[in-house]
Amino acid sequence: MKDLFNVYLPEFIIILFTLFNMSAAFFAKKNHYKFSKGVTLCGIVFALSSTLFLEISTDNIFAFRGEFVSNIYTLFFKILILISAFFLTLLSRNLLKAKRDRAFEYFTVFLAGVLFAMCAVSVTDFISMFVSLASLSICSYLLLTYTKSANATQLSFGYLVISSVAAALFLLGLSYLYGLCGEFGFWQVSDYFSANPPQVLLTFSLILIISAIWFKLGIVPFSSWLPDTFAGAGYPIAAYISSIPPLACFGVLARLLMIMLPFTSGLRLTFAFLAVVTVVCASLCAIRQNNIKRLMAYSMSVQSGIMLLGLCVFSVYSLSSVLFYIFCYIFANIGAWAALILFFNSSGLEDVDDFRGLIYHRPYYVIAFTLVLISLAGIAPTCGFVAKLYLFSAVARSGFLFLPYLVVAMLGSVVMIFAYWKLIRAMFRRVENTALIDTSVMSSKFILYACAFASIFCCIFADKIIQLCQLVSYYM
Amino acid sequence: MNYLSLLVLIFAPIIVAGIILFPKFPNHQVMVRRFAKFFAGLHFIYSLLFLVFFDSSLYGMSYEKELTFLNMTWLKSLGISAKFAIDGVAVLMVVLTTFIVLLTLVLSKIHIRSKHKLYYSMVFLLESAVLGIFCAKDMFLFFVFWELSLIPVYFLVSQWGSKDARRSAMRFILISFVANVFLFLGMLILYYYNFAVSNVMTANIESLSMDEKIYPLWFQIFVFANFMIGFLFRVPFAFFHNWYADIQSKSAAPVNILLSGVILNTGIYGIIRFNMLVFPEIFKLFAPILMCWGIINIVYCGVLAMVQPDIKKTLSYANISVQGFIMLGLGSLNQIGFNGAVLMAVSSAIVFSALFAIVAAIQFRTKTTYITSLGGLGTVMPRCMYFALIIAFGAIGVPFLIMFAPKAMILTGAMISNLEEELLVKILAIIGLAAIILSAGYVMYFFYKVFCSVLLEQFRRVKDLSPHEISVLTTFTAVILYFGICPMSVVQIYQSVSSIMLDILQV
Repeated sequence: MKDLFNVYLPEFIIILFTLFNMSAAFFAKKNHYKFSKGVTLCGIVFALSSTLFLEISTDNIFAFRGEFVSNIYTLFFKILILISAFFLTLLSRNLLKAKRDRAFEYFTVFLAGVLFAMCAVSVTDFISMFVSLASLSICSYLLLTYTKSANATQLSFGYLVISSVAAALFLLGLSYLYGLCGEFGFWQVSDYFSANPPQVLLTFSLILIISAIWFKLGIVPFSSWLPDTFAGAGYPIAAYISSIPPLACFGVLARLLMIMLPFTSGLRLTFAFLAVVTVVCASLCAIRQNNIKRLMAYSMSVQSGIMLLGLCVFSVYSLSSVLFYIFCYIFANIGAWAALILFFNSSGLEDVDDFRGLIYHRPYYVIAFTLVLISLAGIAPTCGFVAKLYLFSAVARSGFLFLPYLVVAMLGSVVMIFAYWKLIRAMFRRVENTALIDTSVMSSKFILYACAFASIFCCIFADKIIQLCQLVSYYM
Repeated sequence: MNYLSLLVLIFAPIIVAGIILFPKFPNHQVMVRRFAKFFAGLHFIYSLLFLVFFDSSLYGMSYEKELTFLNMTWLKSLGISAKFAIDGVAVLMVVLTTFIVLLTLVLSKIHIRSKHKLYYSMVFLLESAVLGIFCAKDMFLFFVFWELSLIPVYFLVSQWGSKDARRSAMRFILISFVANVFLFLGMLILYYYNFAVSNVMTANIESLSMDEKIYPLWFQIFVFANFMIGFLFRVPFAFFHNWYADIQSKSAAPVNILLSGVILNTGIYGIIRFNMLVFPEIFKLFAPILMCWGIINIVYCGVLAMVQPDIKKTLSYANISVQGFIMLGLGSLNQIGFNGAVLMAVSSAIVFSALFAIVAAIQFRTKTTYITSLGGLGTVMPRCMYFALIIAFGAIGVPFLIMFAPKAMILTGAMISNLEEELLVKILAIIGLAAIILSAGYVMYFFYKVFCSVLLEQFRRVKDLSPHEISVLTTFTAVILYFGICPMSVVQIYQSVSSIMLDILQV
């Protein structure tokens, strides 16, 4: 009981509400959309407020025989995951409009995904890591095929295939690792290798294991699923896939690297190389896209590539910069998706060309959307700029070795600016556009404005958040 | 002194731009224009107060102000703050910027026929960004404003330019962003380098330095080159200059004035602020190369100016050519050369803005800027011709007009420079002296082709200047005369900066 209140209270609450949704799905006879959404929101809010009751100390607190850890670092990620889940619940309104009778099922899977993401942040051994990440993949897959349209099923199949390949690679790497040292826990493995000489096979097996994470982040050799899957998925689900799994992945990846990096050779350069290749390729692809969802898919790839570059230069400073970056990314990303959902639901705007001239029709939406996009692009008066400045300075101070990567990554992110710029320019074109935009959707509007406000606010008060991130990464 | 706040100076234009762009603001063009002009006038007077109360004997920066929210320093934990301060060079550039913006707005009436709200707000946004560049005391703040200044330029060029202006503007933005990447990289490395050496995390321009002997020379040169690339694109300098003539020839007449008078100075200012004051050793090393490049720039772009079919292109190449003199002065690394270079930056901005104002008047009346379809306008526009004559003489460097003092100072500076490559520098100074003929060539070419030769039939009924244009050109002429008669009153404003530079170099 002491464990419960010290360590995993938020997860416990999410489990309760998942179970409630699941059992309600059996008994619900008719349209209970509002009820199920209310229940889900309640669960998330309870879980958020329950983080106040967790014991926050600078040491790690363990549960389940040391397989589950809680400290200020996991708490940071869990709060981010819960906040984004809160926003995403509000955003899923119109997807469910057509399938209201299945709202409970949707929210069951949704909450399960949130739960596994939260668990992934806290894991300390490879088995639980595999279970949480694989379950997160399954939840994402279920959400992708939720609409049951032929298009979505077909395009999501690619996701399933690559996801299983990545899982197989993970298991292969894990079997190598187990063969090397006979341990599954992160700390046990590191203890083994600090006593014994390090081996090249460890690096190799770690690369295989981490490829499952690369797959979720859309890093280059595993990124082919992203645009197709996003194009096939409904908007809220694409928003879900671009925010919850990256949070979980960076949470677990930073811990893994912190423990394993001293025993590996060449892992950081592999990371940096892949990150840079991702940034360049994805941004070059992005400037030629006309479909807005594909553009956002490549945007996610570029952003996670930049974060990966920050992460592979492993220090307290760079880790805090990655935390700050992901903090800014989540708000900007959800804000952008909120705007797209708003525009899509009411008048079906799907291509960049459809957005032409919107500024004269709906100035406030467009200005908020522009702010959010500028934040994603990393230009001055938004928190995206501060995040890029912080992350790139962290890479620059790591020495000469990463400078070439830094130059290429910066050039790639400049290319990405033009992909966003295309969209912004289209909206500011002087063309008659009378797209019918439903102004009554309070939730999407609220999220869009909140995220636009947050991206300015986090720029002005960036100092406090950076201090928080430094604290978090220091006590990780 | 307390009522002079740099924050008001920098952010007032942004706020006014917001007010103009606000949907509730009346969309009536006369209202918008008068409001904009009224504000620009007030703003100019306010910026003039900074010059009046400026203590030119002060060593370092003055009028320091920090932008805080709830008493919190912006990015304190990274050592980055939103501090503003100005020194002698900056205060001169600030007044120049507000002056040019005011005159441009007076001229805009007849040239801007659509989207008034967007136009005036973009001009103010540009003004704000450029003032921020001149006043920023923090390296990254400088970069924020540096990037911010690109956005209004894109809109100003693309929205009111000729047909394919949008493509040119896009290309300009693209090139600039790539150049900015180098600049940003240089800043990041300098920021970290400074931290590693002094163990203080700061991006304060005054306390940055790179003259320790810890890192290898090639690395310092690499950082220096990153900064240089970023700034040379903006100056623009030979071989980085393509965008300038391109967008100048396609943009609307008032935008020409803004580009030549406001945008180019930011590059020169960046070179002085970072490449000279932060990397004095490397600058000393590269001074002969930069001077050579300056001479190449003068000759190459001067020749290009004389063969252009479009007077806007002629003037923009002439403008680029003049930037070579600035580099010659900066490279000579002595007080008179530096003073001449800064004076040259200010006076070339004024002269070329005035010349573009003349071109604006001609383009408005004849609807063309092609040299073959112009000629003999002196008989129908005598007032315009007289103004053009004074300004053109000013551009050549006739004594008692604007360009004489800076050119004389720069060439003297180059001649008495005590750089190691003495012979080379002296030869360069002599070539620079000869190149003044070139400047006479392109200015007279412009003047002769437009005002002198045979008047074409269709321009017989062209009217002379309107009161607006006369007032603007009279102001320009007055300034040109003032700069020519007492240049030393301008030079003494930034005397302290050049002594700082000399002190740094002596170490």
